[in-house]
Amino acid sequence: MFIHKLLAGSAAVVLAGSLGACSASTDNPADASSSSGSSKGGERVIGFSNVTLQSPFYVGVRDAVEKEAKARGVKLVFLDANGDVAKQNRDLQDLQTRGVDGVLVNPVNPEAVKPSVDGLVKQDVPVVTVDRPVTSGATAHVGRDNVAMGRLVGEQAKKDLGAAGGKIVELQGDAGGDVMRDRRDGFEGVFQGDAKVKVVRGPYSEYIRANAIKAMQDLLQANKDLKAVYAHNDDMALGAVKVLKDNGLEGKVKVYGIDGLMEAVKQIPSGHYQATALNDPATLGKLALDTLLKKLDGQDVPKDVDAGTTLVTKANADQFIGDSTFAAYDPKGTR
Amino acid sequence: MSTQTATPAVAATQTTPLGQRAKSLLVRFNLVVIFALICLVGSQLSDDFLQQRNLFNLLQQSSITGVVAIGMTFVILTSGIDLSVGSVLAFGGMVVAMLISGGTAWPIAVLVALAAGAAFGLIQGGISAYAAVPSFIITLAGLTAARGATYLLTDGTPKSVDDGTFALIGGGFIGQVPIVGIVFIVVSILAAFVLRYTTFGQHVFAVGGNAEAARLSGVPVRPVIVGAFVISGVLAAFGGVLQTSYLSVGQPTAGTGFELTAIAAVVLGGTSLFGGKGSILGTFIAVLMLSALTNIFNLMGVSSYWQQIVTGVVLAGAVFLNRWFDRRHAAA
Repeated sequence: MFIHKLLAGSAAVVLAGSLGACSASTDNPADASSSSGSSKGGERVIGFSNVTLQSPFYVGVRDAVEKEAKARGVKLVFLDANGDVAKQNRDLQDLQTRGVDGVLVNPVNPEAVKPSVDGLVKQDVPVVTVDRPVTSGATAHVGRDNVAMGRLVGEQAKKDLGAAGGKIVELQGDAGGDVMRDRRDGFEGVFQGDAKVKVVRGPYSEYIRANAIKAMQDLLQANKDLKAVYAHNDDMALGAVKVLKDNGLEGKVKVYGIDGLMEAVKQIPSGHYQATALNDPATLGKLALDTLLKKLDGQDVPKDVDAGTTLVTKANADQFIGDSTFAAYDPKGTR
Repeated sequence: MSTQTATPAVAATQTTPLGQRAKSLLVRFNLVVIFALICLVGSQLSDDFLQQRNLFNLLQQSSITGVVAIGMTFVILTSGIDLSVGSVLAFGGMVVAMLISGGTAWPIAVLVALAAGAAFGLIQGGISAYAAVPSFIITLAGLTAARGATYLLTDGTPKSVDDGTFALIGGGFIGQVPIVGIVFIVVSILAAFVLRYTTFGQHVFAVGGNAEAARLSGVPVRPVIVGAFVISGVLAAFGGVLQTSYLSVGQPTAGTGFELTAIAAVVLGGTSLFGGKGSILGTFIAVLMLSALTNIFNLMGVSSYWQQIVTGVVLAGAVFLNRWFDRRHAAA
């Protein structure tokens, strides 16, 4: 009897899981097949192909786009590429078949979706890329400058370390990734020709906290004289904070990250975490949809829209602490 | 914890002269020898490697992978495979995180998470054993479904856990010894005990060795297979519980790709992918060995790209040596 109950219960869980994956990937499949032809009854239809929903950042972008679409009276067709280039191409072709008025895309890869993007643009469907660009062909790109984020954090680290300098351990993102390279170059560029500072590149930890903890434990053994840690995102930097705490070094070694994850921002006032550069997904999503709608209204939009970033330190952390997953940053008042 | 085989080859050693016996011991513990060699090289390459603090780090780093790999050993011994462990780990970790942050007492939250892992094991093992679906296929489905369930549960967002006692399981220390390391050792000893001294354990070897022969001699083949999957599911979910406790946050992306690391550890530990032959000790040492490799490279500051190449080469070499010892053993 118990076994039966357990079986039924767990079957429900698995079933719910697969259904969940389904509804996440195609927002409303029945709807997708029935309505073709754009702007039926004057209602504007926008497609959004997102890279993945497996990270709070991308969920944040989706939520912002959905919220904005609702506020502006636009119908949104959301598709999740699940990190798969082939699926994203199929998704984009489906959107074209369906005859949407405009498309937002967060490409899995800058080259691999180019054919689909070109196809859409050729049919006079404007395509705005968000967060990550495509190599060419898109109507506009709304994103952030990751080099600038790295540089902002680097400049703060340089100021904190002072004339004495010291050794900085760098926890890297994913091997070969554009964001990793930009955040690395922006940060390391600050210390170019600075003999007092030595940056030790740690292993790639895929932006994952658990990986960063392992890497940090090892790096701490090999670099007992380190003065600071710079991680390519806050999640990894929080892993470093944990290792430092386990070793009684919290507050003694300075920690820097990127993204403005609220969990990190909340630690800044205590001095266990020095700084982070904001990468608010909500502003990004809203600005992206805003740009696409402007284009559809016949207005000129710049080819590159920078959603902007700023540094959070002890001096201003209070202004950013709140309940959202990422700290909000809205310099252009788009939110 | 001891090496155990379904073949009666070990019996031969009892009548052989002393020299042969020493050789046989070396053969039985060849993995220990390879591990010792790696440690020796490591200590030469980096002064920090053999320091107490680093060795405890190593134990801690191995623990979560280790617990999952121990569960995987049972399934592979029955000649099955469990590809769902990484996703079940994430699911278990999120269940515990959401329950605790929702106000449930942590021991109950842990039990619910383990029950969820058992449920996944029960379904996958049940379908594999009773509907004769290859475990590779059904657990591949499980991998996707469990990850989907995790995202559905959380909408892709991590969940922080604020419970000091719960955090101790994964992140606490007794003296300088990480508690999670002790947990890993206890789980290993229990698993080795079950495999060696219980009827179920002997049935696991029998089913993996030759399912038809086992069935004819009265072994309940299907329930044994289901049992192995339940153990794997429970330990995978337990890995998730440890991970959540350790990080103080449940992450829906946890354990991505874990199945490969776990399978690599089990196979490196000498367990045959065709079932029927292997040991918990082997898996235990292999997990430590994999962590030690990364640890040594990190201590030396070897670049990530080279780490992957050299890890691949060392893995291939270790499996080759292991098999070579085995063949000599079989020939002797």
